Amino acid sequence: MPSSLSHIRALCAAIGLLFVFAHPAAAQLTFKPTAEAVQEDKLLNALKEGDKITGRISIPDTMASSLIQPAGRDWRDFQRSKLPIIGGVAILGMIVLLAIFLMVRGRIRVDHGFSGTKILRFASFERFTHWLTASCFIVLALSGLNISFGRVLVMPLFGAEAFATMSGWAKIAHDYLAFPFMLGLAIMFLIWIKDNIPGKLDWQWLKQGGGILANGKHPPAKRFNAGQKGIFWIVIIGGVLMSVSGWYLLFPYLPGNVTALQFWTVIHAVVAMLFIAAMLAHIYIGSVGMEGAFDAMGTGEVDLNWAKEHHALWVAEEQAKGRAPSKDGTHAVPAE
Amino acid sequence: MKSFLAALAFAAIAAFGVSSVLDTIQQSSSVAYTTSGARVGDPGKNLIGPN
Repeated sequence: MPSSLSHIRALCAAIGLLFVFAHPAAAQLTFKPTAEAVQEDKLLNALKEGDKITGRISIPDTMASSLIQPAGRDWRDFQRSKLPIIGGVAILGMIVLLAIFLMVRGRIRVDHGFSGTKILRFASFERFTHWLTASCFIVLALSGLNISFGRVLVMPLFGAEAFATMSGWAKIAHDYLAFPFMLGLAIMFLIWIKDNIPGKLDWQWLKQGGGILANGKHPPAKRFNAGQKGIFWIVIIGGVLMSVSGWYLLFPYLPGNVTALQFWTVIHAVVAMLFIAAMLAHIYIGSVGMEGAFDAMGTGEVDLNWAKEHHALWVAEEQAKGRAPSKDGTHAVPAE
Repeated sequence: MKSFLAALAFAAIAAFGVSSVLDTIQQSSSVAYTTSGARVGDPGKNLIGPN
């Protein structure tokens, strides 16, 4: 009898071992599943990159079956610690740089003074497109920054209840103003791409610092100089990245899984911070930083002397076409 | 100034239009994910307001 019992025990042990080795997941466990080991941290740490604990669900939403995904902790840490640093350095750094530039260089003046003669720089449809994109961008930027910094910077000022209501409306504005922003971006690309192809002239402009570092030096430029072309491509490339990543956030079932969704939120947030920093520089040079520059997008017409100093070749082209006044204020007649 | 104001008006109208279109063509999760074997509760307006 004792002999047959020991045979049964040996058989059970062999079958048990067979199950352990036949199951790959069991073979990968690096901790012993004792009562002490069954703690959340140890269980999560046992999961490899990309692994997740899933459950069985009865609704047709496959993403709802994810119970625990350890990569989510890295994503949360990024949102809470690294992203505010990236955003703070980029945005505050740009503000500090612009303040230093203004203190050292001062406002860039029109060297020859205003002539009183105007030249059309941007037609009404171009200005409409610019302001459509810009106004949406400002709301998108503020409501987006509210997600990253609002709880720390805004909530203490207005209280939790007012902050929650404001954030709810800001989220709605962010979601739906994204669409006219994308439309403006597409129109901008179509109407300005032909004037923003980089060329040899841009290299010369860059080598001379665009003439903004010293008074009286103005490298020749066509309709858009290298700096403006840089802003154009930052807007287009940054805008496309924001649009694609934002589309996945607007429709979170498109990426297909939580890991892809987290990837796109990181892209969206990092590009947004850099995009906002770059636009601060654009806003500065188009308003406070350069005398006469705002008129281009304000009324659409700029002073002829301003245009000659910053876009000499473009003025010459416009005058040759008879679309710009000559020095004495009369419109030149194009040669037949 | 006219271009600026027109752009603001267009942005607001476009945003409202998109929200209306999406509201029409999209189903709420409580409808989309309800099957004959599982019912998903209406989440209500839990982002804004007292609910």
